[in-house]
Amino acid sequence: MSAAQISQAIQNTAYFTALRESGLPYPIILSSHLATIAVFGGLILMTDLRLLGVALKSIPASVVVERTRPWKHAGLLIMLTLGIHLGGAKLADYYDNPYFLMKMSLLCLVFVHAMVFRKSVYRNPAALDDPKGLPRAAKIAACLSMALWVGILSCGRWIAYYERPEENPTAQSQPALGR
Amino acid sequence: MVEWRIVLQTAFDPANNPLNNNDWSFPLMECIHIAMFAMSIGTIAIVDFRLLGLMFKKRTPAEILDATSLWTLIGLIVVITSGLIIFTTDPLSYFYNYSFRYKMIALLVAIVYNYTIHRKVAKSNSSAAVNVMVGGFSLLLWISIVFAGIFYAFTEELHYVGGPN
Repeated sequence: MSAAQISQAIQNTAYFTALRESGLPYPIILSSHLATIAVFGGLILMTDLRLLGVALKSIPASVVVERTRPWKHAGLLIMLTLGIHLGGAKLADYYDNPYFLMKMSLLCLVFVHAMVFRKSVYRNPAALDDPKGLPRAAKIAACLSMALWVGILSCGRWIAYYERPEENPTAQSQPALGR
Repeated sequence: MVEWRIVLQTAFDPANNPLNNNDWSFPLMECIHIAMFAMSIGTIAIVDFRLLGLMFKKRTPAEILDATSLWTLIGLIVVITSGLIIFTTDPLSYFYNYSFRYKMIALLVAIVYNYTIHRKVAKSNSSAAVNVMVGGFSLLLWISIVFAGIFYAFTEELHYVGGPN
């Protein structure tokens, strides 16, 4: 089976078909996906800015990292669940969309990022609260995190603007969001 | 009575708008809009989470507000500016869309609320019940604004103010 056939088969499952052809559920899931960016994306951004030493300075960096962690995990879980619904319902349109593929690759890098900086930054409160200043690794982790998430957000938006070069009947069902 | 259709058509010409004349600038403006509403709403949400007693419980809401307010303001300025620029690309269809009108009214209410009641309660030593109500309302109001922004794109012509245009 080719990637096109597999994605078509996933998209054609009763669940994803019902979702795609539904009136309200699809925009509600999309709106919730965006609302999750607003509520939980802000937590990621503020943690990164704290690790850079520019925001939330009155709260120790280790406290910001630890207190926001369970909420960022919850946000990511909600975000991924909603995203799987959005992607699955239109997978035949998306599977070869370069922005979709880039977004998925960057999402994988988010997990790599978390693993790489786990020991040196995110689970290292002693180093984060060092009175001599934030460790270089924390600043690098923060910059990479922001770059990854801005990339994911931008690719997500650009998915809707990509059109396959050749004629393809499945591409017709996709509305140009936002226009 | 002001003819808004004429006013908008005179003030903005979508055909000559640079955002409508290349492939990248409109989506780029949307990305800026999304990133900045994440910053503005996200920082307000941190205060809301504190008011709801879910996060930074050892710190006072006032301390969380002080730590986030600058970033909220920067986010709000950029998100409104980018929003106005996006509006000029197709002013008529935004203006006559119920979802968009809800968004504008809710946004105005949310900003006023944020800098009056929300701020006052976060700064004062209010009871847990008041904190929960004020923080919960703030969170729901801002989330509804995000919803309205997405629903704009899904609104059928029949749901436009005054019917099909």
